[in-house]
Amino acid sequence: MNINQVKKEFPIFDEKIQNNDLVYLDSANSSQKPKVVIDRINEFYTKQFSNVGRSVHYLAVAATNLYENTRTSVQRYINAKDKNEIVFTKGATEALNLVANTLGQNYLQEGDEILITELEHHSNYVPWHFLRKSKNIKINFAEINNDGEITLEEIEKKLTPKTKIISITHLSNVTGAILPVKEITELAHSKGIIVVVDGCQGAPHLKLDMQDLDCDFYAISCHKMYGPTGLGVLYGKKKWLEELPPYQGGGGMINEVKKDRISYGDLPNKYEAGTMATAQVIAFDQSIKFLESVGIDNVMKHEAELVEYGQELLQKNNSVKLIGNPKNKGGVLSFTIEGIHPHDVATILDEDGVAIRAGHHCCQILHDKLNIPASSRASVGIYNTKDDLDKLNEAINNCKKIFNL
Amino acid sequence: MNLKELYQEIILEHGKNPRNLGKTDDFNKDAKGHNPLCGDNVHVYLKLNGQKIVEDISFEGSGCAISMASASIMTDLIKGKNEHEAKEIVEDFLGMIKENPELKSDNLEDDEKTKLMCLSGVKQYPMRVKCATLSWHTLVSAFDDKKEEVKTEN
Repeated sequence: MNINQVKKEFPIFDEKIQNNDLVYLDSANSSQKPKVVIDRINEFYTKQFSNVGRSVHYLAVAATNLYENTRTSVQRYINAKDKNEIVFTKGATEALNLVANTLGQNYLQEGDEILITELEHHSNYVPWHFLRKSKNIKINFAEINNDGEITLEEIEKKLTPKTKIISITHLSNVTGAILPVKEITELAHSKGIIVVVDGCQGAPHLKLDMQDLDCDFYAISCHKMYGPTGLGVLYGKKKWLEELPPYQGGGGMINEVKKDRISYGDLPNKYEAGTMATAQVIAFDQSIKFLESVGIDNVMKHEAELVEYGQELLQKNNSVKLIGNPKNKGGVLSFTIEGIHPHDVATILDEDGVAIRAGHHCCQILHDKLNIPASSRASVGIYNTKDDLDKLNEAINNCKKIFNL
Repeated sequence: MNLKELYQEIILEHGKNPRNLGKTDDFNKDAKGHNPLCGDNVHVYLKLNGQKIVEDISFEGSGCAISMASASIMTDLIKGKNEHEAKEIVEDFLGMIKENPELKSDNLEDDEKTKLMCLSGVKQYPMRVKCATLSWHTLVSAFDDKKEEVKTEN
C-alpha cells in the first residue's frame, strides 16, 4: 500500500487549514471522506435521485437497486450470513438504541441484569440505562485493569445467573484496547447470554467477520468508516431481528394497515421506517469499495505501525502520560500533560494545524475511574503518516513551551 | 493578539496562581457552575454585607487555564463592589468576550479594565468562550440565590 497515494484520495488534505497543512488526528471522532464518496453523493443527487422502495417509475427502481447494492456490500464486508441481517439506521447510536429498546420490550424481565464495561461510550450505556427505570433492569460494569483493558476473566467474574445481555465495545475509543469479543461471545453463548457489540471503532480499523465473531448484534457508524454522516448499520442475527418487535413505526415498515390491526413488513424493512438516508446509503457503497481496494489487512498493518511509533514518541516526551497500555491496541493515543488542561492542549495544537480531540470522549465513567476530568486524544486513520505523529509531538512541545514546562 | 500572547498573559497573571481560590469563611451566598462540554467546574462563594457590598469572594474549581484565570480575575475585580456594580461588570464582560471591542463599565478603574481585557483574545476561539464565561454566570446565580447549577453553553 502506498500511503501517499491513499492520502491523495482525500481532497481535504489539499486544503490549507488556518494556513497550515492539515494534520488530522481525530478519526476516532469522525473520519475524512475520499473523493469517490463525495462524488457519489453529488452524482446521485444530480443524475439519479429518487426515493427508494415505493414508486414504480424508472428512477425509483434504479435508486432502490443502488440502495440494496450497499446492503449486499455491507453483508460481504462484514461476512454476515444473510443480507437481511443488515439494517440501516441513522447512526450507531440509533442502532444501539434499537437493540436496547426492542430487547427491553420483548426479551428482558424485571430484575434481569446487563453487563457492560467501564470503557463504554455513552451510547452503549445510556440506552441500557433507560431500562433501569422502565424495566427495573440492573446494569453491572466490568472493570478495566491497570493497562486499560477488559479481560475475558473480568467478564466471567461479573456474570451472574441473572445476566441476560453483555454489551461491549470492540475497540475502546479512549485506551484503544481491543476486546476479545470472540472469546467473550463463546463464553456468553455457553450460558445463553446475548452479546451486543458497539463496533464504532472496530468497524473502520479491524477485519470483520460476523459469522466468526458470532455476536448477536454489531453496531457500525458509517461516518467513522470513511462514509457519510447520518448513517449507521445494525447487524443482527436473523432470528433476533425476526423475533423482536419493530422499533419505529411509519411508512415502509408495514405489511398491511387497517383500522383495527397492523401487520409489519419483513426484514429488513421492518426496521427501516420512513424515508431513509438514501444518498448516504448509496454513497457508503463507495466507502466499502474503497476500504476493500486498500485491503483491511493493509489498513491494520499501517495503523498498527503508526500507533507503535506514536506510543514510543509520546512515551519519550517528558510530562506526557499515555492513558492505558493494552497489549492489543487500536489507533488511539489518549494522554494527559501534567500542568496543562486538555482543552488548552487542543486549542494550542489546533494553532499548529494539528486536529485532536479533548474532553471525556463520551466516556465519563472511564474518566471518573481514571480520576481525571478530561484527556487529549490523537487517533489515526488510513491517511495518517509517521510525519503526522512527529508534528503532533512538536506541537505538544510547543504547548509545553507556552506553559513554561 | 495571537494565541501565544493570550495564553502567556493569562497564565502569568492568574492561571498558575489563581487569586481567591478556596472557600470564603462565613460566606452567605454561593452557586455552582458546570460546563458539560469541557468538564469545567466552578463554585463561587460570596460574603455580602448589609449594604449589599461584596466583602469577600472566592472560588473553588477545576478546569482549563482560561476558565481558572477568568474566575481568578473576576474575583479580584468584584471584591469591594456592590451587587449592582458587580452585575454591570458581568454584563460588560459578557458583551466584551462575545462582540464588543471595549469595556464600557464606569465601575472599573483603568488598570482593572486592562486586566480584564487580557481575556478579550478568547473571542477568537468561539469554542472556548464558555470556558471564560462560566464563573461569571455562576456569580450572577450566586447573587440571585439560584439553586440550580449553572450550565454554560456559551
